[in-house]
Formats: sequence, structure tokens, C-alpha cells
Amino acid sequence: MFPILQLGPLAIQTPGLMLLLGLWIGLSLAEREAKRLNQDPETIYNLAFTGIIAGLAGARLSYVARYPAVYAADPLSLFSPNPSTLSAVEGFLIALLAMWVYMQRRKMNLRLTLDSFAPMVAVMAIAIALAHLASGDAFGAPAKLAWSIFLWEEWRHPSQVYELIAALAALLVWWRLPRAGDGVTLWIVVALLAAATLFLEAFRGDSQLFFSFRVNQLWALIVLTWSLIVAQTWERR
Amino acid sequence: MQRLYKMLFSITSTDKYHEVVMIVLSSSHWRVFTFLLLMLGASWVGFSRVPTPTLDADRIPAPRENFPAPDFTLTTFDGESKTLSSQRGRVVIVNLWASWCGPCRAEMPALKKVYEANRHRGLEVFAVNSTFQDDERDARLFARDLNLSFTLLLDPDGAVSRRYLLRALPSTFFIDKRGIIRTVIIGGPMSEATLQTQVESLLADGK
Repeated sequence: MFPILQLGPLAIQTPGLMLLLGLWIGLSLAEREAKRLNQDPETIYNLAFTGIIAGLAGARLSYVARYPAVYAADPLSLFSPNPSTLSAVEGFLIALLAMWVYMQRRKMNLRLTLDSFAPMVAVMAIAIALAHLASGDAFGAPAKLAWSIFLWEEWRHPSQVYELIAALAALLVWWRLPRAGDGVTLWIVVALLAAATLFLEAFRGDSQLFFSFRVNQLWALIVLTWSLIVAQTWERR
Repeated sequence: MQRLYKMLFSITSTDKYHEVVMIVLSSSHWRVFTFLLLMLGASWVGFSRVPTPTLDADRIPAPRENFPAPDFTLTTFDGESKTLSSQRGRVVIVNLWASWCGPCRAEMPALKKVYEANRHRGLEVFAVNSTFQDDERDARLFARDLNLSFTLLLDPDGAVSRRYLLRALPSTFFIDKRGIIRTVIIGGPMSEATLQTQVESLLADGK
């Protein structure tokens, strides 16, 4: 685990660096894929940028909405770079909404656009796995195996490595798939990542629970079902 | 999805099995595969559920979120001994700092303000000076210049810095009333709003 890269007086947070790198590589691949599918790469870039900006602003404003009095007293904190004062779920939903509005206004083809983003989804999954590896988050359940790693005072499943292998496999599948621009490619990548989460979450040591069930597995099952149904429906049309 | 199945099987199967798979996939049986996959997934969810979850407090102490905070005893600038675990029932901010660290200096006024506004509600601040990489006299001047009112501790041999895996200054740990670390913020400076919102949720937790 290597959460901080100290360059002189500068403490660079490696997980954040991984996510930025993932965003950059993923976006470049999305632009290339858009070009291959006869889409305007610049529009794809703008769409992604709209999502990022709306997501960040939405995540911060959603957090601020929980503590209005605190931020009224210190309004400049709205612009604090601290990621612990972001509401991730709300930010994600707002990003999707903003991207949807942008697509409608630019009259973008939904299926072609989704397929353009398929490699970005796989690359971001790799970046998230690397960020987890750097920070020690998403750690594994205690286990004494030949490949266990010593983390947080115990020998554990290297769950971040499992996650990384699954994300790399998803990218490999995307690369080998015949890609027609019918929107199915994205749902295949999403289905693979959901299936991997469904399986690998069982080896995590920090799962959030809903009664005795692991929340991520329940979400993964819903996403897997949805993506399989949509992929099969769209493939027939 | 047929294209995925075909591609995957073409990678993994031998010619003999490949032929069988292609026959199956050419019919509508691939829907059955999908159904079985989902059933298998649902069974796995049930099989891998956690009937008796590990409580946060039962974990081995480690300097990360949702783990018990590693305990320590240090002396204050006045020579008084302070132990972290004796603060159970109060929300504690452990802030690791040094006098030469710019962001540490920048966030201290906010830390002081939040401490003074919330100490009557059960907030304690343990500001641990990384004395092994600082000068004790500079640390005392730093505290006097900023008129700091919370508990200032010396870590002369770096034992606490090592236990808390200190990698950058400042590093701040927000510990709930049961002694569990709930938020870790590495780097700074933190704004008053950031500090207050973190503290607010922990103070509101009645447990």
C-alpha cells in the first residue's frame, strides 16, 4: 500500500492520482472509440466533461445541503478540495442527469454514445482497483492462504488484486469483442464488472451489510440482471 | 450477449466442445444460460452472506476508517500524561502536526475554533506534535503564537507517528465515542466547515 507520494513538500495522494490517470486514459480511449463509430470525439469529450463537472458540483452541494448552517458561516469552504466533503451517490446521480440532458440537447445517438464509453468504464474499473490497492481500502477478509497479504494488522485476501484482475479481464473482453455500436458492448462490460463484483465481494472484509447480506452483492445482482436484459433486448433489435 | 458467449467459448474451449457450444448458442438456449447465471449469482449472495458480522470494535486496532484507534499515552507540553482510550464517551480528533509544516499552521485556527465551539458537547482534540522530526522549542513557540487551547502532546520518539502510519503532515483522525476511527484526512489545511461537519455527525451519534 502506498497512499502518499511525497515529492519534497508536496504530498500527492496516490489513489487520487490513479483515478485521474484512469480518467485521462479512459477518456482518450472513449474518444478513439467514438471516432471508430463515426461519432464526433469532441462531443463525447464534452459530454464526459459535463458529467464530471456536474457530478463534482452536485456531490459538494448535496453535502452542503446536509449542513447549511456550517457552510453559511464559512461559504469559501464550498471550494475546499477535500474529498471527504462530497456526497458520492448524489453526485453520481446528478452527473448521469446532466449527461442525459446534454445528450438530448445535442441529439446524440444513445447506443453509439454508450458504446463509445465502454472502454472508459473498463479503464475506470482498473483505476479504482489500483486506487484501492494504493490506499488499502476495499480490503479482504482475514485468510491464511499462500497468496494472502498482510494488511491492517492481519493476513487477508488480496481483494484489491482480485478486483484489478477482473477489471483487466473486462477490458480484454471489450478489446476482443466484435463492436457494432449498437449499445450492447457497454452492457456486456457492465455485466462482466457486475458479475465480478457479485463473486469477489464474498472475499471482502469490509462489506456493508443489509441484514446479513452484502450490499454490494445485492446491487451487483440488480445491475447484472438489468445489463443482461438490456443487452439481449438491444441485440435482437 | 450471444457474441460474448461465442467469444468467450472460442477462447476457452477445445474444438470438440466449441462445436457443441455453437450448436447450443445457435438456438434460444442462451437465454437459459443467462437465467442460470442469475440464479447462480443469487445463490452465491445467499451462500456468502455474513450471519455474524465482525463488529468494528472487535477488529485489531489500525489507523484507518472503521477500525479501533490504536491506543497511546503521551505527555502534554506541561508534563501531564494523557491516554487516548481514557477519552471513551467523547469524540476525539487526533491531529498529527509539526511546527515547520505550513498546512498544519494554516488549519490550527479552524481546529481551535471548532474545539472551542464543541468541547462542551463532548469534543476533545489531541494535537500530537511529531517531535522526533521537529524541535520542541519551535513546537512550544508555535502553540504560543497561535494561542492553542486544546491538548498538545509530544511524540519524542515517533512511536505514535509510526503506529498511525504517518506519511504526510498534517494527518487527522476523527474518532467516535466508542473509540472507532470514522474519518481519516491526510494533508491539509482543513477548513472550519470540513472540521465542523465531520465532528457534527460524530457528536450527533448518541452511542
